Amino acid sequence: MTGMAAISTSTDLETPRRERLPRGPKRRGALGILFSPVGLLLLLFVLPMLIMVQMSFVEFPPNTESGYTLDHYREVLTNELNLKIAWRTVMIASISMAIMLAIALPLSYFMAFKAGRWELILLLGLVLADELAPVVKVYAWQVILGRNGILNWLIPGEPIEWLLYSRFAVIVTLSTTYITYTTIPIYAAMKAIEPSMFEAAVDLGAGWWQQARKILIPLAAPGIFIAMILVYIPMLTDFVTSDIVGGTSSVMMGQRVRDLILQGGNWGAGSALNFLMLGASGILALVAYRLAKLNRIDA
Amino acid sequence: MSDPTTPAEGSGIVLEACTKRFGDTVAVDHVSFEIVQGEFFSMLGPSGCGKTTTLRMIAGFETPDEGRIWLGGRDVSRMSPQKRPVNMVFQAYGLFPHMSVADNVAFGLRIKKLPRDEIAERVADTIRVVRLDGMEDRRPGQLSGGQQQRVALGRALVNRPAALLLDEPLGALDLQLRKDMQLELKHLQERTGTTFVYVTHDQEEAMTMSDRIAVMRGGVVEQLGSPRELYATPASAFVAGFIGVSNLVTLRVDRRDDGLVAMELGEGDRILAPDPGGSGDELTVTVRPEWIKLGTDADARDSRVRGTVTDVVYLGSVTQLVVELPTGERLTVHRLNDELGASDPVPGQRIALRWAAAHSYVIGSDRAMPSDAAAPSDEIEPAPTGAAGAP
Repeated sequence: MTGMAAISTSTDLETPRRERLPRGPKRRGALGILFSPVGLLLLLFVLPMLIMVQMSFVEFPPNTESGYTLDHYREVLTNELNLKIAWRTVMIASISMAIMLAIALPLSYFMAFKAGRWELILLLGLVLADELAPVVKVYAWQVILGRNGILNWLIPGEPIEWLLYSRFAVIVTLSTTYITYTTIPIYAAMKAIEPSMFEAAVDLGAGWWQQARKILIPLAAPGIFIAMILVYIPMLTDFVTSDIVGGTSSVMMGQRVRDLILQGGNWGAGSALNFLMLGASGILALVAYRLAKLNRIDA
Repeated sequence: MSDPTTPAEGSGIVLEACTKRFGDTVAVDHVSFEIVQGEFFSMLGPSGCGKTTTLRMIAGFETPDEGRIWLGGRDVSRMSPQKRPVNMVFQAYGLFPHMSVADNVAFGLRIKKLPRDEIAERVADTIRVVRLDGMEDRRPGQLSGGQQQRVALGRALVNRPAALLLDEPLGALDLQLRKDMQLELKHLQERTGTTFVYVTHDQEEAMTMSDRIAVMRGGVVEQLGSPRELYATPASAFVAGFIGVSNLVTLRVDRRDDGLVAMELGEGDRILAPDPGGSGDELTVTVRPEWIKLGTDADARDSRVRGTVTDVVYLGSVTQLVVELPTGERLTVHRLNDELGASDPVPGQRIALRWAAAHSYVIGSDRAMPSDAAAPSDEIEPAPTGAAGAP
């Protein structure tokens, strides 16, 4: 709240100053500079999106004479395979999310309050882990989890088959891919908590669980919601991970959209599915935003 | 504190040769004292003197490397802070910003899983005691500094602690509010009968509120006594300088007679002090500024000196003069402004000063010695209930 107040004050202060700026060539120069990124954005992002929107409503086969229809949406929503894949995607993403939170919460707490000089090293480690190209990371998991991989080499006995090309592999890989984006917002939220609050809670008799439940989690909630939204949406649409380490039992929505369009040539259904997912993500983001706002502290 | 190894049941807090080291630094060095049930006890000293570490050892946030801490007759030296029957008010308050005032106050009772009705009743009582009626549903962020302070007090007091530990709780408040809160804290302590253990670096604050004060320096207790004892009979030059304004004079013993020691300054000028006995020929003497009078009508048992006024500062109720003696020493003198139209001396003026020999206090000469528990208080200072220090 304070931050927002500060921002509005600063703009209030700047308004009269801006009016004193000379109008004319200088202003046009500024607009000109703005034009190129805005133009690129329109051309490369908004235009394809608009084409996709049109595709999702246009009758099949698409040509200049075909009219508009909701058939693609109806088809996508009634297709049992789609529903099965959607359910599976949500499950895989949710389990991965749960695993990441189970790691990120204690890790963030450690970094924010206990790590001392290790704090920066851990932070750098997390950032570096994210800097690796996603495809490289996914292939690394292939090496680790494969039939002749490192894990099976370490575990005695017959090689375990389900380690790779399975839901297990997809969940493990997703969890490690997005751990940075889960940890950093939570860490930032925890860093803002006054450490004396924990001493006060201890003094009033709170054990570690009560401190976590009554102080740490509620105060870190905005960070937790941001982390969830940052990570959940890309997981729902991810298709690389499942392609490389997944199997037939782990086909996800991202792959389904791609297959519909690139393999089936079914632009209508693919686009419709895509926008349904976009809508779902938008609703998720709004819900998370509301929740984060509810928990924001009035300071 | 006749036998500190077996404190009586139900007695207050006893520290027994407590030592705490951080790396090579000895923060607290064999500190021993007893805090009597129901008294307002302060630990006073400059930063780094070990007062906060001592308080945190009582709270349980630090474990003494050596020595023991007794609370109500129980050895709590190794007990976790959660289990200790004391509560703390933190310098930064540590209020829970996501909870209302009432929820903050109720926190400790909810942790203890008391019945709902009892929690509601005790929270309501406490909120009344700390004068936050009508603010129950506010968040700490919506309160002023003084109100936040009272929430922190209420949150601790609602647990009915055996002792309330306060770590410089008024440090963040402005001067006027701090003065109001000092009196309020004192009244709160008297109303609730709770033992208050107060840490501060502000001598005036400690003097205003405390029954007894432990003056600390370098991890040891320099002197422990009532405000009156510390002021009138400081055990060391440090205590004399830390408590109030004080003149420290080095007294070379030229003459001893009639129970007095004297340093002759020529032309009948002399500084007298009660003879502390012993054979020392140089003593450190402290004289409080308000005991020094202007004028020459000194009798045989008065010190009398002449000097040059160097500074005159009008402070309202008193005027503070700094007078330089021929020896080069400077005396601070407080002249009470109790006469309308009386004129103050001006800088450069030569004036005569006098004070009773009994008002020259020879440092370290009296009963109050470092680390001693309360010496028998004099007739005016009311002794804390069940005073420690009975022989």
